[in-house]
Amino acid sequence: MSQPIISLEGIHKYYGEVEPRLHVLKGIRLDVTQGEFVSIMGTSGSGKSTLLNLLGCLDVPTEGSYFLGGNDVSQQSDDELSRIRNEDIGFIFQSFQLIPQLTVLENVQVPLLYGDSSIREKEEHCRSILDSVGLSHRLSHRPSQLSGGECQRVAIARSLVNDPLILLADEPTGNLDSKTGQEVLELMDSLHAEGRTIIMITHDQEVALRAQRQVRIHDGLVIEEAS
Amino acid sequence: MISRKKKELLRMGLQSLLGYPMRTVLTMLGVVFGVGSVIAMLALGAGAEKELLQEIGRLGIQNIIINSVEPEQPENNNSSGGRRGWINYYGLKFKDHRQIVETIPGIERVLPVHLSKKKAWNGSRWIESTLFAVEPDYFEVFGLEIASGRALSPQDEEDLARVCVVRSGLLQELGIYEDPIGYVLTIEDQKFTIVGVLSEDRFQGYAQKALVADARSSEIYVPYQTVLKRQGTRSFSGSAGSWEATDVELNQIVVEVEDLDQVILTSRTIENLLSRNHPEKDYEMIVPLEVLAQRRKTQQVFNIALVAIASISLLVGGIGIANIMLATVTERTREIGVRRALGAQKRHIIAQFLTETTTISILGGVLGIFLGFGLVQILVIFTGWTAVITPISILVALTISVAVGITSGIYPARRAAALDPISALRHQ
Repeated sequence: MSQPIISLEGIHKYYGEVEPRLHVLKGIRLDVTQGEFVSIMGTSGSGKSTLLNLLGCLDVPTEGSYFLGGNDVSQQSDDELSRIRNEDIGFIFQSFQLIPQLTVLENVQVPLLYGDSSIREKEEHCRSILDSVGLSHRLSHRPSQLSGGECQRVAIARSLVNDPLILLADEPTGNLDSKTGQEVLELMDSLHAEGRTIIMITHDQEVALRAQRQVRIHDGLVIEEAS
Repeated sequence: MISRKKKELLRMGLQSLLGYPMRTVLTMLGVVFGVGSVIAMLALGAGAEKELLQEIGRLGIQNIIINSVEPEQPENNNSSGGRRGWINYYGLKFKDHRQIVETIPGIERVLPVHLSKKKAWNGSRWIESTLFAVEPDYFEVFGLEIASGRALSPQDEEDLARVCVVRSGLLQELGIYEDPIGYVLTIEDQKFTIVGVLSEDRFQGYAQKALVADARSSEIYVPYQTVLKRQGTRSFSGSAGSWEATDVELNQIVVEVEDLDQVILTSRTIENLLSRNHPEKDYEMIVPLEVLAQRRKTQQVFNIALVAIASISLLVGGIGIANIMLATVTERTREIGVRRALGAQKRHIIAQFLTETTTISILGGVLGIFLGFGLVQILVIFTGWTAVITPISILVALTISVAVGITSGIYPARRAAALDPISALRHQ
């Protein structure tokens, strides 16, 4: 088996400064290998959002180690975490999180602003990604002029622009009707087929089953894995 | 050279502004009015200074002007000073003129001037005029321009010629509409031929006062020697059965100093000499250079006060920007969260907000400069004041705008950068 692209070892997360602190993650162990499509399921309050934040380098664990692409990212500086989010992680959010005053193309270009490569150099790249998600005719539209499904496809295009190590999807179909939800899931299937590593967080059993491997979280612990 | 990356960040900042055009314009207004009023105030200050320079500059900064002044005396005190019997003697004497010429070093020229109020007649029309008995150099020293004919000449002095140079305003008042050169005026009981007409460029304000010039431009310039030899220095005025005589030998002495650096020193030396000759101070000394320095100082204080007041509106404009930006930070919390999630570091967020505020304030500054130009035009048209928009005032206005943009942006930008990305993303 190849080296895992993600490796969580004994991850604990506490919230609050004073005792009794809120103990949310209670020793998570999880490995994800290159090219896997993993869904993480859990009820509300199970700790799956906290886990997502840690996986997305938006937060750091209180205890334990997080290796991303072989590097320990569990105790990095704010700037370093920003750089990792920019280069190694592609976010897909439930509510799309597009910037309303920017066009489709500009939204896809946002991650380039904060990296080393320039927007002009990558302009063609951005257009081809948008083309691959079927939005080449919508480049200069603003998010308010798009349907929910289109918005989510823009967000997926945006997550791909820096060619990240992992795609992190948080309830990607949560705000969509079932038909468009299916379309988005098909798009994710095809990304997986291209060899992308995808971690999808959801509470929907049916959606979770689209993934090649399902991880269930309950009360801060991984309780079940199936594949 | 700005790197390509910075350019892209700058462009992204501008896009955010374009996303909310109405708000951007309204936010800008404070700076527009602030800069507009600063420009207008600076222009008025510069204009006042220019007017001052022109006014006092007309007197010649290398000149010293000494005027005779009638001393104030108790009515019946005839024994003291220059007043003898019914003739009122006072003022500068020929002796003063001679002594200045002979004893004061570093002097280019000394011009004696005698003034008298005379009636000037053209047929049956007459006006009250001021007769300036001056040497030919007087025209050059005070930059009096001849519109037609010629100035007074040394030959006129020698010949005791009855010739005069007048202002065009006087011709109109006397009803002379044909070619005035060669026209003969009757001044008191003597006939004077007009040889030259001055342009209507009058002495104004301080210069007018200092030179005892006539506000209605009814000055008549005649050769000094002609007046002295033919009329003398005594003048009579009568009213209600009694009459009074005044004898002022010289009403004015104009001293032109060779070296600008010596003007003040020379004025002190002359003051010493005159104060010995005139124990009762019946003269006043005007040193344009000194007056200019004093007036400038006063003007500068005034300018600073004006600009300080105008700056208050600029300050209010800056507070306006800060206020709107703070509201914007709250409103755009989610956007900030998204940008942070996508890899923006704190400094990127700060740069974005500073770009926005600085752009607003610079644009506001530029529009404010145009507004300033407009305000100045309107003020000039309606008040007749002089106003000068100097390049330095434009530079000052722009610098202040940039400073306002940065300072008003710092606090909101830091607040935005300090937001926790996770909660910012969840913000509704």
